[in-house]
Amino acid sequence: MTCSAAKEQQLEQARRHVFLALLIAVAISIHTVESLLPTPLPWLRLGLANSVAVVALYLYGPRAAWSVNLARVGLGALLLGRLFSPGFWLALAGCLVATSLMVGLHRRFPDWLTPIGVSVAGAAGHAFGQLLAARLLLVSHDAIWQVLPALLMFSLGAGIVTGWVALRVLREIRRHPLFRQLSKAEADDQTGEQALQ
Amino acid sequence: MKKLWRDMSRGDCSVILVLFLIALIGLFWQANAPTGARLIVGDGDQVSFTAELHQEQTVDLEGPLGVTRLNISDGAARILASPCPRKICISMGSVQRSGELLACVPNRILVRIEGVAEEGVDYDLLSR
Repeated sequence: MTCSAAKEQQLEQARRHVFLALLIAVAISIHTVESLLPTPLPWLRLGLANSVAVVALYLYGPRAAWSVNLARVGLGALLLGRLFSPGFWLALAGCLVATSLMVGLHRRFPDWLTPIGVSVAGAAGHAFGQLLAARLLLVSHDAIWQVLPALLMFSLGAGIVTGWVALRVLREIRRHPLFRQLSKAEADDQTGEQALQ
Repeated sequence: MKKLWRDMSRGDCSVILVLFLIALIGLFWQANAPTGARLIVGDGDQVSFTAELHQEQTVDLEGPLGVTRLNISDGAARILASPCPRKICISMGSVQRSGELLACVPNRILVRIEGVAEEGVDYDLLSR
């Protein structure tokens, strides 16, 4: 029995779909549990679900990361009964800034940054995006930016933790034969690099 | 921790350092802000109440949820009571520096400190 290259591609595509769905499910679960934990301030969380998006980014590329994060915010809010609530818009804004930043940085500096750096950038972007949305929707005055330095400090720590989690997960996942990286994004990257050389 | 150090790249450290410095500078700037002169309560551009910080008083501020009690004493302002569910505004403590704020988001109360306290504003009269 022969195994053609096309079949391998199809298999990899199917695998990608399935694993992406799994990743999204994991992200939503983490997000839900995290939202239910008591915190001194609302919306101040570790953002562990973002590390799933970082894993998706490194494994399957930018679109996967976007899928994971957008699904996490949307479905997570839906499940918690917070869809279209103020908190949802803050989370969405933070997520948009964070994911753009992470995707952009990963594309621009694929080797210079590890998942930790990408995650830290994401955390900072998330904080900034949330404050921006709060400024536009909730508080209507620039005084809200007062909380930025403290929030930024916190998000640095959170980003390092979640980034490290993503790093370890990636390391373990990549060992598994199912993730031998025949995915389209990686193939595109490789051909792109070869073209440049 | 050592493992973490080995896993991080130079790029990571740069990004973290830059963000850390930005936050640090922001914190320093806030900590060194001059002591404020007055407070302004408002939502958006509408100002509903102002007061000088050196006047002791307790005032009730109306919001969609109810009454938020604001207290001014010792040149600082703090929220004493509020109908919001989480009472974050109360936990924000007392503010007195220019630029600081107290906010009760559910009740739409925003208290900000403005201006610069003049020398001798604590005294009604100073004689030599």
